[in-house]
This record gives sequence, C-alpha cells and structure tokens, in this order.
Amino acid sequence: MNTPNFKGTHLWLRLVWAKENLEPYQSDYRVVYEDSVDECAKILVPDPNFMSACMNGGIIPKIENYWALAEDEAKPDFKKHTRGYLLHDTEPMGAMTEEEAIEYLIMKDVPKSVWQNWDSGNKPKMVICRKGQLPQTREWRNAWRITDDLAA
Amino acid sequence: MAGKIIADTIETGAGADISTSYVVNGSAKAWADIIGAGTPSVANSNNVSSLTDNGTGDTTISFTGSMDSGNYSIAGIAGGQSGVYWATAGINKYTGAASSCRVLRGYTISLGGGVTKFDYTEMDFMLQGDLA
Repeated sequence: MNTPNFKGTHLWLRLVWAKENLEPYQSDYRVVYEDSVDECAKILVPDPNFMSACMNGGIIPKIENYWALAEDEAKPDFKKHTRGYLLHDTEPMGAMTEEEAIEYLIMKDVPKSVWQNWDSGNKPKMVICRKGQLPQTREWRNAWRITDDLAA
Repeated sequence: MAGKIIADTIETGAGADISTSYVVNGSAKAWADIIGAGTPSVANSNNVSSLTDNGTGDTTISFTGSMDSGNYSIAGIAGGQSGVYWATAGINKYTGAASSCRVLRGYTISLGGGVTKFDYTEMDFMLQGDLA
C-alpha cells in the first residue's frame, strides 16, 4: 500500500487512514518484563492496528518524539502537553519488519529503566517470546516472575 | 464517488447550529475490544499501541497518539460468560497518563465490601478527551 506523504498531518488522521486501508496484523510476539520487585512480571501485547501501521511505514512518528513528550510529562509543573506537534509535524518512520516494530514498541511502551538495562542483573528483566511460550495457566499469577526456561 | 465536506457549523432542522469542532472533539479518541482472560489480546481498536497485562484484573492500555494530559474520561465494561452463567463489571481508571491508562476490574460480594480483582474474558474500553 502506498502511504500518502503524512509529514505535517495530525497523527490521529494518519491512524484513521491506516484503519481504513491496512489489514491489522496480529503479532505472535509477547514481551515479558519486570519493573518492580513488588509486582509480578508483566506481559506486553502488541496492538494489531499499531503493528500494521509500523510495518507499512510512513505513519508512526520517530520514537524520540514520544520520549520528548514523556520528559515533558515527568516535569513537576506539567499540566498538559504543548508540544503535540512533535507527533504530527515531524518525518514519520519508514517501514519496519515485525521484529523492528516490536523493538520500537518496547522503547515506546516499556519503562526505559527496564529496556535500557534489561540484562544487567543476575537474571534478565525482560524477555521477548512467542505467545505459546507463556504458561497457559499462570498459577500464583500475581507473584509470577520471569522463569529460567522462559529466559533461556 | 469521493467527496469532501468542509463546514464550520452544523445546523439542525430546528435552526439550532453548533460548531463542527464539537463533533470532532466529542469523538472517542481511543477504544479497544480486548478478549481473553489470563493473557489477553486486542481484537479491534483505534489509537492503541499495546496493552500490558499487569496481573489479575489489571491492564494498561497505551496510546499511539498521546492525549494532552491524564485528565480524560474513560468508560468501559468487562464481562464473561460460562455456559448459562454470565457476569459484567465496570472498569476503574486506576492511573491515567497522557500516553497510557491503567484500568482495574473485579467484583464485590457484599455492599461496602472490598473488591476482588478478576480476569473477565472480555473488556471494552473507550476514552473521551483531548489529543496532544
């Protein structure tokens, strides 16, 4: 599908175009991560419309723009975003492979403290796996952690 | 036939008119149909990049296009069905950020009793608010 030149087009309108023109893509990948010792391991599930927009290219903003907005929101005096244009007016990302889209999604939706140091401790804090590798029944679910066989 | 309507106001048959921005700003800015208990997935959506399963009855929905702040309104319902038995519950906005919303769902047995978080087999989520 040829994507229109969306630089300068509001991201919302790009997503409307993508929804009308692209086939959703259900990825089999899941991202398991731990960001708190007080909480169980979390599972990130990609959205099929987001994946198709990433893989098509020309729609999703560069990741640095999301980080810039996240930095704004983390400031103590933050009230509301005033730099939304970073999502709308900048050059969008080109087409990604499924694996590249998952990496992009990790950098967007997983806390930086996890993915920047995912393998720095005595066991990984984050694992990319297939849906079928997750335990079918997570016994003691709210105490569930990344297991050795999942990390292997 | 392709076409385009450009209008600043919409007028009713009774002569009352409103700005089209009311209609645009009143649209749901994000929605998701989430299925599956335990490890859920997104069946259909708009303006959603991922969901994160945080544990029983606890899910974070992340947005592709950020909202202007965490001050938005959500609505949704969770439900499940097993044979002749069915149950529904509202969802609770636990934390709202511009880029994501963490929602909880569960059930209570007695009036004034605590809520037990629960994984219903389906959850529908909708958000109204202002985009960044």
